[in-house]
Amino acid sequence: MLMTKTSRRGRVSTSTGAAATRWLTVVVLAFLTTAGCKRSEPTGTEPAAAEAEPHAKRIGVTLLTVQHQFYQDLRAGLQEEADRHGYELLITTAEHDPSRQADQIDQFIVQQVDAIVICPCDSRSVGAGIVEANHAGIPVFTADIASRSPLGKVVTHIASDNKQGGRKAAELLAEALGEKGKVTILSHPEVASVMDRVAGFKEKLAEYPDIEIVAELSAGGKRDRAARVMEDLLQSHADLSGLFAINDDTALGALAAVEAAGKLEQISIVGYDATSEAREKIKTGAIYGDVIQHPRRIGRLTIGAIHDAFAGQSPPAVIPVEVGTFTRESG
Amino acid sequence: MSKTHQQTARAASASSDRRAAARALAVMHWVVRLRMLVVLALLVVAVTILTDGDFAGPKNLINVARQISFEALIAFGMTLVIVTGGIDLSVGSLVALTGVVAAVVMQATLDWAAPVCILAGLLTGCGVGALSGTISGSVITRFSVPPFIVTLAAMLIARGFAFIACSGQTVYELPPGLILLGRGFVLESVLGKVLPVPVLIMLLGFVCFQILLSRTIFGRGVIAVGSNEEAARLAGIRVARTRLIVYVLTGALCGIVGVMQDAKLMAGDPKVGEMWELNVIAAVVVGGTSLFGGRGTIWGTLIGALIIGVLNNSLNLLHVEHFWQKVVLGLVILLAALLDAALRRLGRQ
Repeated sequence: MLMTKTSRRGRVSTSTGAAATRWLTVVVLAFLTTAGCKRSEPTGTEPAAAEAEPHAKRIGVTLLTVQHQFYQDLRAGLQEEADRHGYELLITTAEHDPSRQADQIDQFIVQQVDAIVICPCDSRSVGAGIVEANHAGIPVFTADIASRSPLGKVVTHIASDNKQGGRKAAELLAEALGEKGKVTILSHPEVASVMDRVAGFKEKLAEYPDIEIVAELSAGGKRDRAARVMEDLLQSHADLSGLFAINDDTALGALAAVEAAGKLEQISIVGYDATSEAREKIKTGAIYGDVIQHPRRIGRLTIGAIHDAFAGQSPPAVIPVEVGTFTRESG
Repeated sequence: MSKTHQQTARAASASSDRRAAARALAVMHWVVRLRMLVVLALLVVAVTILTDGDFAGPKNLINVARQISFEALIAFGMTLVIVTGGIDLSVGSLVALTGVVAAVVMQATLDWAAPVCILAGLLTGCGVGALSGTISGSVITRFSVPPFIVTLAAMLIARGFAFIACSGQTVYELPPGLILLGRGFVLESVLGKVLPVPVLIMLLGFVCFQILLSRTIFGRGVIAVGSNEEAARLAGIRVARTRLIVYVLTGALCGIVGVMQDAKLMAGDPKVGEMWELNVIAAVVVGGTSLFGGRGTIWGTLIGALIIGVLNNSLNLLHVEHFWQKVVLGLVILLAALLDAALRRLGRQ
């Protein structure tokens, strides 16, 4: 295209224009990289800097996502405990992509971290990455979601007892409904820990013969989708009386649909996690109650297990973290 | 310089001036063509300095190359699609679908010899990808529906089928030898861990598509269709067929990458490839291919993929917050698009 120009003026303006744009790009790129790097500084290095130890242990973390409150709390717990021990955390997030998670694990291996924490995107496909870490002699810990791959060795898995959580949710909902009614589950079948919750829920609910599960649909754990699915459910099951939402984003999305339909009195909602927003709704009575996990605690215990492993002890294969409930009374 | 020399020089000034002008123009042409290489080189230097040399470590570079190879391979096909003036949003979902279907086939044929089993998986993956490309391409050309909406639909359908094909459960019983395709190294016993197999596959793809686009009649046709469809038609190029083939090729590439992905994770996972279409399109556009069609190169795309890969890697090495990484990547893509627009304007002058 440029070859076709013949006038001298055109040529000159081309060269200066292109050069200018080129240099502009470079300058901005360089600026961005520096700016971005400076921005991130406050997250991990404050206490580490105080110690000024030349050989601070580095722990690579690959989270499932940073967009859920749960993981933000878990991350805060990790950071809190890491700061206490003077470990440096390298935190990344795979945002539900198992392939990206594998890349992040490879990256940690190249960076020769001292331990890796994984919150797997997929219980099966995380295995190949764990094998690589095993080969490199880096201990691997899983938090929240377990590896169910036949490949790879995990030192310790730290997670809530999700089945127990599901059972507690069933108890809460039965209590709210007076032990009878039609209920639905808004689930997220791609996630193993969620399926444990649903399994526990169904198991416990079977003990109440007058409660019937009329539907189980996926809302992908997301608020907007939950609202849409719930709108549909309200159309197809006008006599619905209860809902178990597998996390609070789902519960809050469904709540929006229930409120819009003016069925707040008719439908009792039980959520999971008791995020601050859900707590407010529980206090006003819009949500009946929540199962509480302790993500911060999971985070702290994970680093605790790593600390033990560094000290030469062997932490247990599984550290279950108790769940509780949060209702209007308890709040 | 003597007087006579000056006179002869002046006498021949017209022709020599023209020659110099042509030379200057050729140099300019190369500078403009290589602008992205310059950006990449400066990026590498900046990142190496910022990471105290961590970035330039051989292990890291090999790792970056391997990470890039998956999306780069698809980006070569996407380049052809975009040069015809089209777009393919279904590539990420297709990687998941082809990967899962191939994994199901490999699981079913586990009793066979490993190479046969893996070959069966590869053929199935490519077949499913090419079939999907054929369907999208046919709908686009036969009914003249915009590629954006057709491939958007294909993206949803393929993602849905990826979960359906494995009932939502990741398929993880695969032949052990498969891992070589995703994590192996070429001639590891001789060369050591230098050239990852995915990188070799990507480079082979690069050579094929480079030749295809720049040295074949088909490649000329792709560019002609993208520059001026009507003129291409009048020149006797089979426009519909050309536009169909680019989608088929891209689909088949997704099939190969799907199996490589199976190998990397040693599992067929329906969740992989989320948002890949955007990374791939970004690599193509950053590499200087015009979204309006008619202009683009395969090697530009390779550099685009490298720029995005290096950025991703260095943002991780520098511990940049996830959300800031998005901001930086978005800005880089925006800058590339601006650069593209500026060059187009200059080209018209």
